[in-house]
Amino acid sequence: MTDPILEVEGLSVDYEVGAGRFHALTDVSFEMRPGEVVGIVGETGCGKSTLGHAIPRLLPVPPARVVGGAIRFQGTDLLQVPMWKIPMVRGTGIGMIFQEPINSLNPAFRIYDQLAEAVRIRLLRESGRAPSFHAGPTGFDYSRRPSPKPAEVLSHPFVPATVVERAAPVRRSPDVEREVLEYLKLVRINDPETILRLHPHELSGGMRQRVMIAMALSEKPTLLIADEPTSALDVTIQAQVLTLMKELMEEVRTSILFISHDLGVIAEMADEVGVMYAGRLVEFGPVADVFERPGHPYTKALLRSVPSRYKADGPLASLPGSVPNLSRLPTGCPFHPRCAIARPECAADPGPALAPVPSSPSSGHRAACRFPEEVAGLP
Amino acid sequence: MADAKPAVPPGPPRRRIGALRVIGDLITVLRANPLTLAGFVLVALIMGTAVLVAGVPFVSGLFTGHSVEVLPYAPNQISTAVKQGPSLAHPFGTDNVGEDIFSQVLYALPLDLFIGFAVTGFALLVGGLLGLVAGYWDSPGTVGGFSSVAILRVTDVFLAFPSLVLALAITAALGRGTFPAILAIMLSWWPYYVRLTRGEVLAVKHLPYVTAARGAGVSDLRILRRHILANILEPLTVYYTMDVGTVLITFSTINYVGIGVPLTVPEWGNQIVLYQDFLLNLPWTVAAPGLAIFITVLAFSLLGDGLRDILDPRSRRALTRSAGSASAGSEEA
Repeated sequence: MTDPILEVEGLSVDYEVGAGRFHALTDVSFEMRPGEVVGIVGETGCGKSTLGHAIPRLLPVPPARVVGGAIRFQGTDLLQVPMWKIPMVRGTGIGMIFQEPINSLNPAFRIYDQLAEAVRIRLLRESGRAPSFHAGPTGFDYSRRPSPKPAEVLSHPFVPATVVERAAPVRRSPDVEREVLEYLKLVRINDPETILRLHPHELSGGMRQRVMIAMALSEKPTLLIADEPTSALDVTIQAQVLTLMKELMEEVRTSILFISHDLGVIAEMADEVGVMYAGRLVEFGPVADVFERPGHPYTKALLRSVPSRYKADGPLASLPGSVPNLSRLPTGCPFHPRCAIARPECAADPGPALAPVPSSPSSGHRAACRFPEEVAGLP
Repeated sequence: MADAKPAVPPGPPRRRIGALRVIGDLITVLRANPLTLAGFVLVALIMGTAVLVAGVPFVSGLFTGHSVEVLPYAPNQISTAVKQGPSLAHPFGTDNVGEDIFSQVLYALPLDLFIGFAVTGFALLVGGLLGLVAGYWDSPGTVGGFSSVAILRVTDVFLAFPSLVLALAITAALGRGTFPAILAIMLSWWPYYVRLTRGEVLAVKHLPYVTAARGAGVSDLRILRRHILANILEPLTVYYTMDVGTVLITFSTINYVGIGVPLTVPEWGNQIVLYQDFLLNLPWTVAAPGLAIFITVLAFSLLGDGLRDILDPRSRRALTRSAGSASAGSEEA
């Protein structure tokens, strides 16, 4: 078995807002292997986006605060890397596609400049002129470049002078121009030569989202975090973008952490899925197993709420109650007030943290419920 | 994808013709906005005059050994033509000892303009830099957070006094002279730019596109320069341009109060002080420098207002388009 590309272990994140303290993530643990697509689903406010932003350490430090845990990217705990070195991991190491296509492009620059910036970063890092922790499938791979050695960069108090980013040489090179066009074509933008000269406000939302995807992909990230990349788009464009991402996964061989509230999209895209509730990962496993034989009552309820045209009669199924306030979580299992199979001990004690589901054929299928066998009996 | 490079012709996607393009945009925008055009023409006239008045004597002095004066009279040249109203010989009239007011007002122009630009330039540079640092690195508990707090507290000390009062106090402490007066305004001016820049940085730095740039692995300095500075340049430039006029007024006020530049130096504020006793008998002596201040301040305000439209790519495009369609329409008619 190959080494995991990303191991999140016991990650807890709090938001400190005024005097209040919100537990946005509590003890989240999972693993991703190279080439794998992991989906994260959950209701609004369950901590999906916080998780996505926490991995490349993009959370604004006040109000967010990482309380504990580890985020091992190719074996290196990113929480131990000093903050000023983190930009070297982002982009080529961990790429990101954001939720808001409307505002995610700099309004002051033309599309060419935005894409060129991303391409430039990758070219500088590939040629060893800019420091990075970007790596091959295992550990940090510096074989392609003469200097610096990873240990050298990590232990050096500053960035060694020899690798300080030099902007001029790559910027106007035909390489950059060619690659920018290439990636715009890759995301199926018609007439890229014209698009290059436009400012972001002159593009539609779908076009901007595709430019965003092109930007993220042009850095050839080892791990791509897609935070609801299609939620702001209408269904036809959503379908285009998803097809595109699937094709690109084959072409670029990147691992994807796919965050979405749309179960259908996750079923379509992901190999494994994690279900989040109130900042906790309540179930994790292969998509087929989790969706067919859920081991947690919340997953079951979530699946039941998906509207279907085969059960048109009767009201839509919905889960009673609402997501708990993250500053005043119930004691014990956070789901017990809304759970149909809850017993007194559920309110007293949180129960197991992701234990294997006995009825499931896959050993990787785990749920945070003490009665996984009873979930199947729920309506 | 990487191994099979698609056959994209490596043709130039876009040529950078930055300066030419900006000038082209400028012309179209100016044609569409008469007020901006007025401000632009006035500022150009004022600057041109200032360069002529200060430059011609200096350059001719260098090359020919004696300086050629542009002004019809030396500013302190007395004559028998006393107390005359505006005429062709003396466009702004003369004072009680026959000095030509027109020459005096123009002679003061280079000094006043220089002060306007020097003070705002210094404030923009110092205040802007401090504001960028204080706005961008502000997480508590880090070195950046500490420096941010330090910068802001020092700024607050300066801001506790109204800028005019502070400038007056510093001038009074430093003594009379042109340089102390300039220094006093400079020292009281930069804190506003710290606050302005910091506020703009704070507003921009958590916008999705800045986070997106951070997520793409762009370094902090580059984010500050490209993604933040480039987007706050517009309000800063507009504020700066309008501020040149405000500095002029403050400088003239200090001189009017009588603690700035010595009265022997021709300066608009000084002239108003000198002639205020003649306000009823020889109104042109006070009106001319007053009008000079008014027109200069107005010109820079109009230009600053128009710059806002030119610098914002969204409104620039719209303006360019409306100007294009307007001219097309007029040609058809």
